[in-house]
Amino acid sequence: MEPGETTEEKTMSAAQRRAEIRRRKLLMNSEERMNRIVGYTKNDSESSASRRSTEPHFHLDLARTEPVSSSSSPKPSSGHGSFSETLCGSLEDDLAGIRKRTRGDRVSDDLNSSPRPGLQKYLSRFDDAMKLRGQLANEKPAQDGGSDLDEFDPFIVFRLVGSVLLAVFVRLFVCKYLSIFAPFLTLELAYMGLSKYFPKVEKKAQTTVLTAALLLSGIPAEVINRSMDTYRRMGDVFADLCVYFFTFILSHEILLLFGSETP
Amino acid sequence: MAAGYAWFLVLGSVFLCNLMKTLLPSISSFLSKLVQKDAEQESEMRAEIHEMKKEQSTISMMDEFARHARLERKINKMTDKLKTHVKSRTAQQAKMKWVVNIVFYILQAALMISLIWKFYSDPVTVVPSKWIAPVERLVAFPTGVAGGVGITCWLVVCNKVITLGLHAIS
Repeated sequence: MEPGETTEEKTMSAAQRRAEIRRRKLLMNSEERMNRIVGYTKNDSESSASRRSTEPHFHLDLARTEPVSSSSSPKPSSGHGSFSETLCGSLEDDLAGIRKRTRGDRVSDDLNSSPRPGLQKYLSRFDDAMKLRGQLANEKPAQDGGSDLDEFDPFIVFRLVGSVLLAVFVRLFVCKYLSIFAPFLTLELAYMGLSKYFPKVEKKAQTTVLTAALLLSGIPAEVINRSMDTYRRMGDVFADLCVYFFTFILSHEILLLFGSETP
Repeated sequence: MAAGYAWFLVLGSVFLCNLMKTLLPSISSFLSKLVQKDAEQESEMRAEIHEMKKEQSTISMMDEFARHARLERKINKMTDKLKTHVKSRTAQQAKMKWVVNIVFYILQAALMISLIWKFYSDPVTVVPSKWIAPVERLVAFPTGVAGGVGITCWLVVCNKVITLGLHAIS
């Protein structure tokens, strides 16, 4: 019994050893196996090994000044560095939260190695768009909830109250001598000067579908930001004008109703 | 009419439309509650499930397994029924919401078109033309009356002001 038991033990231990070796082998070659499944060559996987430690960092860069198309063009000598650098430049500050592609960017690599760079580029952009869409969907409720912050911007309230007061004043004293739009324009100029003295409410950069589309089509983020800012200012002026004109007509009608004045 | 309350009529219409738009979710939920008569049944089912769960918690699974299992099956059956019920109710609510939205937008469009039709050639109010000097034609569009405030301009102004007001209130 004794010798039988020891041989069984030996065979068991040998089997276990074999299993252990097999397991280790599998674990050691897991990356290679995965690359083989995905379709990378060994060279590709080796070159990407250095950046494997960096986490995927998705980010949509609104502060980036270069268009995506220029940075994603194939650069045989520089490898994969340039695109990620331009992508992750200074955007994080501007639009924290809107992601883009992996930092260790695969586009340049793919462009270098792939026989179909156009397709790879397209797929990469499509991937970005899908991620962006997902994030927009997630951000929507948060934006809806945070829209109240815009409402309590003291400068906007000040502007509206100023427009109302000016309209009443103009109707009472000025309109007989001057067009009603002249004082309004003066008021807007005054607002432009006064805006410096009001605390700046941090406006959350709204990621609209239009913004995303413009960004993905390669328009620099700086241009988009400025356009959005100008658009917002125009909206403010329009709101002031509407309130001013409405108050003017309202006060005019009230004065007519009470018969104190005739135009 | 130009000297009358046309401006107020337009203002009131726009205000009503905006108010209705704000209240649209409440209206649709109220209507769906009216339409659904078996809301009580659902609450009864919920209460029943609650009671049964309470009862089940008092029964020892080891000592009275059969009774416990019977109760468990009963709870499961009732829960499934409730789920089906809730699903159908949710679908009905969504349908109701859709119908209310469609009806509202059709009515709003009809109201706006009729207002524009009515005041196409008459201004809603008139002020001396020099008061609105450089843009009097734009303001008077489409009436062409010097110094008149056209329906288009007044609709835009009212809509903006009321939207701002309602937003501030809400």
